[in-house]
Amino acid sequence: MWSLELFTQALIAGVVIGVIYALMALGITFIYSIVKMINWSMGEFYMLGSYAQYLIVAYWLGPDLWYVAAILSAATVFFVGWLIEPILIKPMFTGGIERRDDYATVVTIALLLLLRNLATAISGPYQRTPGSNLPGVMLGPLPESGARFAAFLAALAAIALFTFLLKRTWLGLALRATSQSRVGAQTAGVDVLSLDKIAFGIGVGLAGLAGALLAPVFMVYPTDGVVTTTKGFEIIVIGGLGSVPGALIAGVALGVAESLGATFIASAYQNAYGFVLLLLVLALRPSGLFGERLRQA
Amino acid sequence: MNGAAPILETRGLSKRFGGFLANDAIDLSISAGEIRGIIGPNGAGKSTLINLMTGVLQPNSGDVLLAGESLVGRKPHEIARKGLVRSFQVSRIFGNLSLLDNLRAPLLAAVSTRDVRAEGVAKAHRLLERLGLARLADAPAKTLSGGQRVLLQAAAGFMMPSLSCYLLDEPFAGVNPVIKDQLIELIEEESRARGLTFVIVSHEMAVMRRLCRKVTVLIQGRIVAEGSLDEIASRADVIAAYLGRSFA
Repeated sequence: MWSLELFTQALIAGVVIGVIYALMALGITFIYSIVKMINWSMGEFYMLGSYAQYLIVAYWLGPDLWYVAAILSAATVFFVGWLIEPILIKPMFTGGIERRDDYATVVTIALLLLLRNLATAISGPYQRTPGSNLPGVMLGPLPESGARFAAFLAALAAIALFTFLLKRTWLGLALRATSQSRVGAQTAGVDVLSLDKIAFGIGVGLAGLAGALLAPVFMVYPTDGVVTTTKGFEIIVIGGLGSVPGALIAGVALGVAESLGATFIASAYQNAYGFVLLLLVLALRPSGLFGERLRQA
Repeated sequence: MNGAAPILETRGLSKRFGGFLANDAIDLSISAGEIRGIIGPNGAGKSTLINLMTGVLQPNSGDVLLAGESLVGRKPHEIARKGLVRSFQVSRIFGNLSLLDNLRAPLLAAVSTRDVRAEGVAKAHRLLERLGLARLADAPAKTLSGGQRVLLQAAAGFMMPSLSCYLLDEPFAGVNPVIKDQLIELIEEESRARGLTFVIVSHEMAVMRRLCRKVTVLIQGRIVAEGSLDEIASRADVIAAYLGRSFA
């Protein structure tokens, strides 16, 4: 049932959710760029962010101060990542480990199991919500929930801040240089091992922020990060691993593909449309839209 | 040993890779302000020596001293911050960063001192101007030609705020004569203006003769000769080793 209004609605809804998913993808791709590893426990850092948001809103600040709670939640997750990195990830570079990818995979999957089971043990399997009292808004023809629109705006602000940090600050220069060449950065006097801590913290902090922002939209429970993390990985494959603009554009593309597919084909297969897009990109451009082919040295 | 105090020294520096002794008890003493050449056939251990001095590799025994202070056990970034800076044989420029950012990166070593950084950015512009790369300041470094990359990498070393001793590993390899001249002039200028010390590993004998009053010959991990290039070139054992002949 084609109509321009329906199309516009689906388009806007897709952009809104796509930008929030992009936050997750940015976290994954950012950690990969600096620390050269895939963090498979991103969904659990998302989950930590969602629980932090729930606890802060429900027991302390209340739903009116959701944005303060989101900042605190993201900061908490940053701090957790900053603490965990030197214990779990740093040995990848200092422990004489030869197969770093395998090491990172095993360690982060172990962390995933630990955090997920800890959450179940502590909070039980119940679904919770911090609630939101933001009024619904009209985005053109699309009625959107206040919480979802607020999450969209906050995600945009976070992405802008992240871009500013990367492009305009000395820390950003150190991060960009390290992502290009760890050896080159060391030669320039950059302490890459301390930078790893900050980068890992920022990366999981972005996942935590996504979790905090989506806490009132979806529910809060021990495996609530799975869907968003799956989207995050789809997005970085579509956009190209290591590319910041790729994560943004692919995030929106994925959101729009799922939204249009759900509206005009069948809503039951919403999660499949992103994979169709992913397969198409892999078939046409295996390194992703903005990915660079790895040079074999 | 000559009069000036050594700024860079190695004492009995040895590095073993499995059964292969890449550096065998290297004693090297380089005076402040000197431009020292290191030559030797492929596999002589020249790059290993540089990697040992800059903390990329750890020695099995021996010591490296910068202005009297031991560097063994220090991390590469700490050694760079102390003023012992290196360039790589294979260019390590940041391809996706602009030329200007490539030159700003070494300023990160100056721990957030505003003046040093502001001054440094002005210096980066001067260096780009000097090397004829000013109009490319905002272009990504990966768009440069091979020779221009060599210049950019060398220039990045001069940006290190604490630079006192600069190790250049094969800076002239595969570089066209015009760029080679530019690089030589840059080294001579910085040497005169700042009294910097250089250690240059190279196969280019003409360049070595022009730049270095003293050259060290490394063969099979050992120092076999030291002196002016002309002195060394007349020694039968050096020639034999270079040409791969056994001593007759």
